[in-house]
Amino acid sequence: MQEWIRKLNPTRCFALVLALISHSSVLAQTGHPDLDLGIARFAEHNGQSAEALWYTQTPESEAESLVRARALINTGRQSQAVELLDRLIDGDYYRGEAALLRSDLIEDNPAETERLLTLASEKGHGEIRQRALYQLADMARTGDRPERAGQILATMDPGYWAALGYMNIAADYGKRDLNPSRALISLRVALAMAEEDPDRRRGEALKARLLVRAGLLAYEAGDYDKAISFLEKVALESYSTPQGLYLHGLALSAKGNQRDAMQSWHRAKKYPLAFAGVAEAWLGTGRGYDLTGYLGQAGEAYLAASASYESERVTLRKLADLVRDKGAFEALVSGAGETQTEWFLADSRMLTQPRSAYLLRFMENADAQAAVGRVSTLETQLDRMAQQERTLTVFQGVLSERLKESSGQAGISDAFRDRFEATLKRISGAKDAASAGSPEAKRLDQLALTLADVKDSANLFGPRLAQRDQTLRRLSGRIEKALVSLRQNRQRARQALDSANADLDRRVLAYVNAEADRMVTALEKAEQQIAHLYEYLALQNLKQGAP
Amino acid sequence: MVGTVHAVISQVKPYITALVVAIFAAGGVQADESAALDREIDAIESEVASLSQTLFELEESVLYPADTQVAVFLALKDKEGLALDSVELYLNGSPVSSHLYTDRERESLRKGGIQRLYIGNLPHGGHQLKAVLTARSANERFIRREVRHQFRKRPGESRIQMTLDAAAPDYEPVVSFQEWE
Repeated sequence: MQEWIRKLNPTRCFALVLALISHSSVLAQTGHPDLDLGIARFAEHNGQSAEALWYTQTPESEAESLVRARALINTGRQSQAVELLDRLIDGDYYRGEAALLRSDLIEDNPAETERLLTLASEKGHGEIRQRALYQLADMARTGDRPERAGQILATMDPGYWAALGYMNIAADYGKRDLNPSRALISLRVALAMAEEDPDRRRGEALKARLLVRAGLLAYEAGDYDKAISFLEKVALESYSTPQGLYLHGLALSAKGNQRDAMQSWHRAKKYPLAFAGVAEAWLGTGRGYDLTGYLGQAGEAYLAASASYESERVTLRKLADLVRDKGAFEALVSGAGETQTEWFLADSRMLTQPRSAYLLRFMENADAQAAVGRVSTLETQLDRMAQQERTLTVFQGVLSERLKESSGQAGISDAFRDRFEATLKRISGAKDAASAGSPEAKRLDQLALTLADVKDSANLFGPRLAQRDQTLRRLSGRIEKALVSLRQNRQRARQALDSANADLDRRVLAYVNAEADRMVTALEKAEQQIAHLYEYLALQNLKQGAP
Repeated sequence: MVGTVHAVISQVKPYITALVVAIFAAGGVQADESAALDREIDAIESEVASLSQTLFELEESVLYPADTQVAVFLALKDKEGLALDSVELYLNGSPVSSHLYTDRERESLRKGGIQRLYIGNLPHGGHQLKAVLTARSANERFIRREVRHQFRKRPGESRIQMTLDAAAPDYEPVVSFQEWE
């Protein structure tokens, strides 16, 4: 009997049913709010905004509304997001986060921005509260209310945002005060705050920047020991390392320790000339030899510096030609294999490649980031649209094929019904033969259940088949409409990309030209030093040759 | 001499003013152009998102008919106990999906996100789902677990949610299955 039951393998038996089952649409969310919310949350967090919007079409909870609002903002539909956010601000659970998001969407209304940020700081928790407080402090700082900014910063928890706030305050003090004490105190507080950042990589990058700033301030005030103590803590794999090494060498040299100064400059020279301090480190080496009395080596060092600047000018000329030829995005961003705009999170590989170095330096400017961001966004959107067009074209082909086939297709055949009834009888017979509660009887119960499911589907098959052509035509119509809209949008995106590329090319060429000018200045300085050195050596020779 | 300099300055002043105004005006035009371009990009992005949504709906309706649809989801119960490295899914012994986790995805799961690991079609009847999980536990152990779940595909959409739990102190992973009707 067991052999007989095995022949009733349901997968094999009902494969035919699968082919016949209707293709009615699944155009519904899961129907379980918790599941919908969880899926939408994961999708939104991972950049799949379309999926997030789909699962939050009719938001039933505040959490769903918040996810939907974020997905709407990510897809450029700010006005729709505003409605949801305004409701959330008056709601119960996400007032802080909604107020923070809403404040980002306000233009030219500082009073309203401040009101929303205050609300976010009062109602929000953790990162939300800290970001809101940071933005409030920054508004006060830029509005010439440093005391208020300081008061706000004092209420913040230690971490990244508080560190940024104190760094900005230090920059202001640095510009205003002749004495660096206040700026240095702010930087020390910022360093302590950055230590507490749970995102270690971000915290380390910020710490390196803070240390370089503190080192520079101390050096300018003539406090070389303090400058050295800050600068020797700069991590060797940070974006600020080359500048830190140069300043470290400068402080050591000012203290008369030329040997160690030259070691620091030698390490700085290993980085591309694009970084701040590297060109100066090449000159510094020559000066170090000069001050220690090794005039021959000093001359060689200046000649080496001069050669490296010449070589960099060639690199920059080639880069400018490449920008004119292929466009700045291709030359700098795609060519460097880097489309992210987080320039401050550069890794060691990025730090040693000249082209990446120029990209990173260029990206320090907010307008440059925006210009690269525009081109990158449009390139991504065009890629997505190309993929969408391919998929829609395939769907259209499949639906056309199915529409052609459909006319000849019959409903559930009598042979199938007979086979079904015979199978049911066989199960019933086998069940009578099996002892109650045995594994065979249980297996037969399962098969009977599956057969009942198949019967339900078979009963629904007729009405579904009648609607099939209509459904397929409806879907085909939607695809056609989507394709038309897609092609129009692609055209629009291409035009916008041309404008964005032209703007980026102009900015990059201006930057490359400025860098070339910087190299010319460095070259002239090196040549001047060589001339001085030779002049001195010539005078020495004359003196030695004199009777 | 001083008078001559003043005279020259007064002559040149209007030109300098005009030049400064022109420079600022050019800057303003550039900023306006950038703002217009940003607005255009927002509109394009919005349209692409709308198209993505249409495509998502079409994919669901063309590729995954309701009666045969099976979807498998993954959620975390204990948010800190495990850091997932990978998940492999097998249906009736055949591999159907595998996923390597990024930090961002781990973070999404920790924040209560539910990941759709697989969506496909199955005929009615009994089936076996096998999942192979590799993860690092909070006590720095590398873990590999295989779990199996028997289920019956019934008419309508079938949704199976795997929930991963690893509670202190031993952080032993436990996977529970829930079928959503």
